[in-house]
Amino acid sequence: MTARLDNESLVRILTVVLILSATISVLLAVDNLLLAFVLAVVITYLLTPFVNAMERAGATRSIAVLCLYLTIGALLALVAWFLVPTVGRQIAGLQSDLPQYIEGVRKLLTDLEKWLPAAFGDIFNRNTGENGSRVMPVIYNYLFRDLSGILSVSISTLILAPLFAFFMLIDGRSAVKKLIAIVPNDFFETALNLQYQINAQVGGFVRARLLESAIVAAIIWAGLMLIDCPYTIFLSAFAGLMNLVPYVGPVVGAIPAFLIAIINNSTGADLLLILAVYSVAQLIDTAFIVPLVVAKIVNLHAVIVIVVIIIGAQIGGILGMIISVPAASIIKLTGKSIYRHLVGFRT
Amino acid sequence: MLQSLWENVAGKGKKDIRTILKANMLFKDLSPKGLRFVTDIVHIRHYRTGETVFRQGEIGFGMYIIAEGLIDITTACHRGETAVEKEEILVTRLKPDDFFGELALVEENGRRSATARAIMDTRLIGFFKPDLFEILERRPGTGVKILLGLSEVLAQRLIETTAKMAQLNEDINLLKGGAGK
Repeated sequence: MTARLDNESLVRILTVVLILSATISVLLAVDNLLLAFVLAVVITYLLTPFVNAMERAGATRSIAVLCLYLTIGALLALVAWFLVPTVGRQIAGLQSDLPQYIEGVRKLLTDLEKWLPAAFGDIFNRNTGENGSRVMPVIYNYLFRDLSGILSVSISTLILAPLFAFFMLIDGRSAVKKLIAIVPNDFFETALNLQYQINAQVGGFVRARLLESAIVAAIIWAGLMLIDCPYTIFLSAFAGLMNLVPYVGPVVGAIPAFLIAIINNSTGADLLLILAVYSVAQLIDTAFIVPLVVAKIVNLHAVIVIVVIIIGAQIGGILGMIISVPAASIIKLTGKSIYRHLVGFRT
Repeated sequence: MLQSLWENVAGKGKKDIRTILKANMLFKDLSPKGLRFVTDIVHIRHYRTGETVFRQGEIGFGMYIIAEGLIDITTACHRGETAVEKEEILVTRLKPDDFFGELALVEENGRRSATARAIMDTRLIGFFKPDLFEILERRPGTGVKILLGLSEVLAQRLIETTAKMAQLNEDINLLKGGAGK
């Protein structure tokens, strides 16, 4: 009988591993699917509290999701109606100004190339200016000539992600329940509790970080508008997006604003004002938003966070950096629970 | 094996589960709508003869209701001089519609106080802490009714334990009195 039970447990474990492996393989193999899936998970976590609230008010889950999608669709259309002219102007401005910025960055790199060997000797004697002038047109081509390609990728992701999220919101729980149903009896309770904890932790993390980034982006947008900086929407959106990456993100997020200011031959006072805007945003973030919103949702040591971000960047670029921290916290939580099951669970 | 796996996945026999839930103290006050909602949330688990549901000392996360089969509840007792030697004492044998492990629904990382083992092929309905939290989040009214039912069960257990304690005290006093004479 024990042998039969062991066989059954083995079959069940293999089935779960097989389903998870197949899902991950498909996500990695098909173009854009991973990005669409990650975005769908983010949308699902963002909308779940609203769907639950509507369910509490008496709506069925399907109706709640449908109503929420229609409301968000209408709101987005309204926002787009107001923002499209401004965004269009900024894109057109950026497109016409970009050659000038490329030339400016090339000049900056050439100047740097002259200055660095003088200051530090031969170790910085690299052809950065020449390399820069080779790389910059490629970036320009990528941004504007290949715009149709980028747009098609974005559009397919932007259609797929909400579609996936729609079904995740309606059927996500029952899909997870069906997967957990296959887990052998011996690990069932632990698996169920682990799934609940991971779900709560990742959900809290996603919602808190997105809210934090949105607030930071709004502060930077308002600050840049006040000091009359160009491309406020792009710069604040970029800063908000980069703010999702702990520690290095806020620094990287501020670079474009400084580059634009330097290339436009802005004065030192202008640079100080930009520095003030980004610093104030970070101060508000660190002093008020993080303690109130993010708190200790992901309890990882700073050194571990940095190592994890580097690994994430190597594996998946910016997306890898953004999802590396929640992924690490999931691994930590899973490891802790498995350890507790194997060592502390049985006395 | 495949059949039990399929039933676990497909959630077969929902009507039958609803009837069992309705008869349980925790879910007796639920409306038909609330009962349908809980039926979709609970977990059906199959255990073979001799298979352990949980062991004494393990961390527990919820309770089980017997849909079919029999469950033995046993506790390990130290025997003889050495603490290593343990003896299993049968506390009770549970039959269909009985439930066990409900303390784990309210305890934080509480450990199982006894071992539960199937003594024939058994089908259990599992209801766990994450399920209770989900119900409280999505249908607070249904969740509160379940919590009231759970409080009633725990109060009844407390009354039974207090009565047993009083009886034991009485027995000890009688023995003391007997020894004194």
